[in-house]
Amino acid sequence: MKNKNFIFLIIFVLIIITVAEMIGFQSIPIGSISIGLLPLVFAIVITMILGLQLFRKGFWRHVYSKANIDFAGKYLIFIMLPLMARYGADVAPQIREILQVGWVFLFQEIGNLGTVVFGLPIAILLGLRREAIGATLGIGREGELAYISEKYTLNSSEGRGVLSLYIIGTLFGTIFFSILAPILLGFGFPVEALAMASGVGSGSMMSASSASLVAQVPDMESTILAYASASQLLTSFLGTFTMVFLAAPLQKFMYKLLVRGEE
Amino acid sequence: MANMLTNKYIKYGLILLLSVSLIVFTQEIKHIKNPDSMPVTSMTFLGLSTLWLFSMIGIGISDLMQKTPVKFMREFPVLGWVSITSLVLCLLFDFFITAIQAVDFLSITTPILTFAGISVANRLVDLRKTSWKIAIVGMFVFTGTYLGSTLIASLGLYLAGN
Repeated sequence: MKNKNFIFLIIFVLIIITVAEMIGFQSIPIGSISIGLLPLVFAIVITMILGLQLFRKGFWRHVYSKANIDFAGKYLIFIMLPLMARYGADVAPQIREILQVGWVFLFQEIGNLGTVVFGLPIAILLGLRREAIGATLGIGREGELAYISEKYTLNSSEGRGVLSLYIIGTLFGTIFFSILAPILLGFGFPVEALAMASGVGSGSMMSASSASLVAQVPDMESTILAYASASQLLTSFLGTFTMVFLAAPLQKFMYKLLVRGEE
Repeated sequence: MANMLTNKYIKYGLILLLSVSLIVFTQEIKHIKNPDSMPVTSMTFLGLSTLWLFSMIGIGISDLMQKTPVKFMREFPVLGWVSITSLVLCLLFDFFITAIQAVDFLSITTPILTFAGISVANRLVDLRKTSWKIAIVGMFVFTGTYLGSTLIASLGLYLAGN
């Protein structure tokens, strides 16, 4: 690994972490609900803004060099592994409790069809047609990307739909979930249910939503992390099956119903 | 060939070392900012070593699975293997749980999102390829999956008497 700018990347990361942690947890009240913004939100927002082309001049070019950005992208998954290893320790002490309500965990996987139920009508209403198939089959992560590209290729309208959602999810997914989870908590949903729902199938989105739940209800930290990670693990096992055998047929049915008489 | 293989694992090992070092750095900064938060103790270092070890085992299992004929096993994400490794070993030995829980959870997340932010730097231009319509649909899609699961889970937990 010959990358003379690598040291800048490390120093930059240390500075960003320090700044984000010093800003700390910020609670922003919106009406009767308060949204908690965690250091992780500041970390991703600051790094994304500084990464804009217009800032990449002079010294910043060394920090955001191609090699450094490639390193971050290629090895992000390895940087995330210790987090995944941490989840085992959260689930293990509560395994009995989790197995007792195991059927609820299984059952709530069906909730992932919400992408079709909520997303498809809006997409059709906005005038999207075949793009909507790609954009609402799931949350547009690797699983959906693989399925759509296999079935329609990525150059099709369906492919463009899933690819667009993939990009939007990559850029804004974590920020979105870290705000959505506390809002729903404010609506009065039980924190256990929200924790379970956090296992949406993307590691970083799950971390963001469960972390912001922990920040809101610190006393329940162990339960929240245990439920979120157990559900995430289940989604990574069952996600493909839910998509192929439930989401895709439901989507086909609803699509026909919604665009009836048009095509 | 054997040399290349060892190099690969040394590289993974070093990247994981970077990851756990950033975690301990974050935990220390967090503790300076807020003295009530979890301090870095010798148990934290044992916990970080455990996380490092479990990650390496998970990577090893994922690589071994590439040789199986079952497509599902080959495609199962390395993130999942690491979670399973950790779950099994934590169920077998309580010590691992004690050690890992000395690592502050939120301190693990900040470095990850820092890297995530840097990694998308060149993708921001891709936004031009997407339309505002998909962005709106995306909000409903993300809300949909989360709300869908929350509704069902709330009902389920209510029926289960929790």
